[in-house]
Amino acid sequence: MNKTKLDNGKSIITVKGLVKRFGDRAVLDGVDLEIPDGQITVIMGGSGCGKSTLLRHLVGLYQPDEGEICIDGDNIVGLETKKMNGVKRKFGMLFQGAALFNSMTVGENVALPLREHTDLSEEIIQIIVKVKLELVGLTGFEDFMPHQISGGMKKRVALARAIALDPKIVFYDEPGAGLDPITASMIDQLILDLSRKLKITSVVVSHEMKSAFRIADKMIVLHKGRVLETGSAEQIKNTANPYIQQFVHGEPEGAIPFRQTSEAYLKGLLET
Amino acid sequence: METFFGNIGRTAGEILAGLSRLTALAGQVTATFFRGFFEHKLVRTRHVIHQIVLMGVDSLGIICLVGASVGMVLALQAAYQLRQFGAQLYTGSLVSVSVTRELGPMVAAIVLSGRVGARLAAEIGTMKVQEEIDALSTMGLNPVQYLVVPRCLAFLIVLPLLTVITDVMGMTGGFLISSLGLHINPYLYLDKTFSALVLKDIYTGLIKSGLFAILISLVSCHEGLAVEGGADGVGKATTSAVVTSIVLILVVDCLATAVLYYVLPA
Repeated sequence: MNKTKLDNGKSIITVKGLVKRFGDRAVLDGVDLEIPDGQITVIMGGSGCGKSTLLRHLVGLYQPDEGEICIDGDNIVGLETKKMNGVKRKFGMLFQGAALFNSMTVGENVALPLREHTDLSEEIIQIIVKVKLELVGLTGFEDFMPHQISGGMKKRVALARAIALDPKIVFYDEPGAGLDPITASMIDQLILDLSRKLKITSVVVSHEMKSAFRIADKMIVLHKGRVLETGSAEQIKNTANPYIQQFVHGEPEGAIPFRQTSEAYLKGLLET
Repeated sequence: METFFGNIGRTAGEILAGLSRLTALAGQVTATFFRGFFEHKLVRTRHVIHQIVLMGVDSLGIICLVGASVGMVLALQAAYQLRQFGAQLYTGSLVSVSVTRELGPMVAAIVLSGRVGARLAAEIGTMKVQEEIDALSTMGLNPVQYLVVPRCLAFLIVLPLLTVITDVMGMTGGFLISSLGLHINPYLYLDKTFSALVLKDIYTGLIKSGLFAILISLVSCHEGLAVEGGADGVGKATTSAVVTSIVLILVVDCLATAVLYYVLPA
């Protein structure tokens, strides 16, 4: 079923030939990918493969050295600030550490995008804040400060803030990082609910295989700054690629050996 | 030898790069400030007032203490020297002129670079480390516009006001010590205090404190925004904000005094 969805769905984000260098090192080395509209796409890869850098390009925090990024029809590379702010209204982002503003209450955090970008009256903003907090299961927490709530709750507040302006797309940077398995799976369930009920396109960057397979409609595996493989969760699970097999099963030995020969080690060092 | 000159070159390069980044930030802040008059919601009055309370009202205690003690010490030292010429009566004039022209603006700026500058650098630096600055910018809110401009504006209002308080407290401290401790006639002391003061002494002091306010807030916000890494980066930025502010205060004070009293004599 996933496959037919993939084939028929149109893309909301298209990335072509994305290159980013930090000094001499190309962290992204020609990334091409498409994110289907209304589905959950998981971008996977080991530490240092460039997945967080890719995400930062998608939300406009970094400018690439080459290539283009189209979000809902607009190429955001080199886009002027005013138009870029228009594009930013179409997406929300959940940061790895939640990134709540510590000087504001939970309610004020969720209200911030509404206060800054709309001319809604205070009563309506309060109602929207209540609704968004209810969506993430945190009714009644408006007046708490971020340091008074747990890590999982912070992530949920950050999610409520990300969806405050009813975006088309939500980006998640390692949504399960630093959370216990139960809380992490609750976040996964929220991502699924938002995607299915509100038809929000979700782009999840993660290296947690269990959660990735639970939520993904489409998976993109990055390795050394390039897209290694793309497909549905089933296709990735059954792929013949030895690196992905090792990654999926989390084994120390495989395509990337645990102990390297000295020549291979030297070669690896010189490559990066 | 090579490393010696290499280090000099590198340090000079870093200072120039820092200055150019600071100028760029100053340009952005000025542009936002003037655009704020025409564009709705660009600079929030609520944020500026909140910062004025945090920076100004909360600094009143320390500013009064430092101002009064500077005035007292100055009166004691001046009277000791002036007594040799039988000119002890002029203690009041000396205290009032030196406090309003020089010590008030300078002492207030240095105390507040420690109190407010460090706070700004640490606050913005921590926000940077915890991805809050990135979160702002993904929400389409410009961090300079949202964080830096209200803080600079608030400090530009706060520092001259606190300088006036430092001036008054300094003169009061001098008056108390002179009339109670040194037995100078209080009426004569007050008369000498005000007859020596001219309007220019006061407004040049305030112009200087305005310049210091712009320097401290820009340097501190810049250090905060430039933080890399974790707690270590925030610590370094805080130290560097205070040290750079103080050095720049001394340099600008010297230049401003030269310009205000020698290039543009009234």
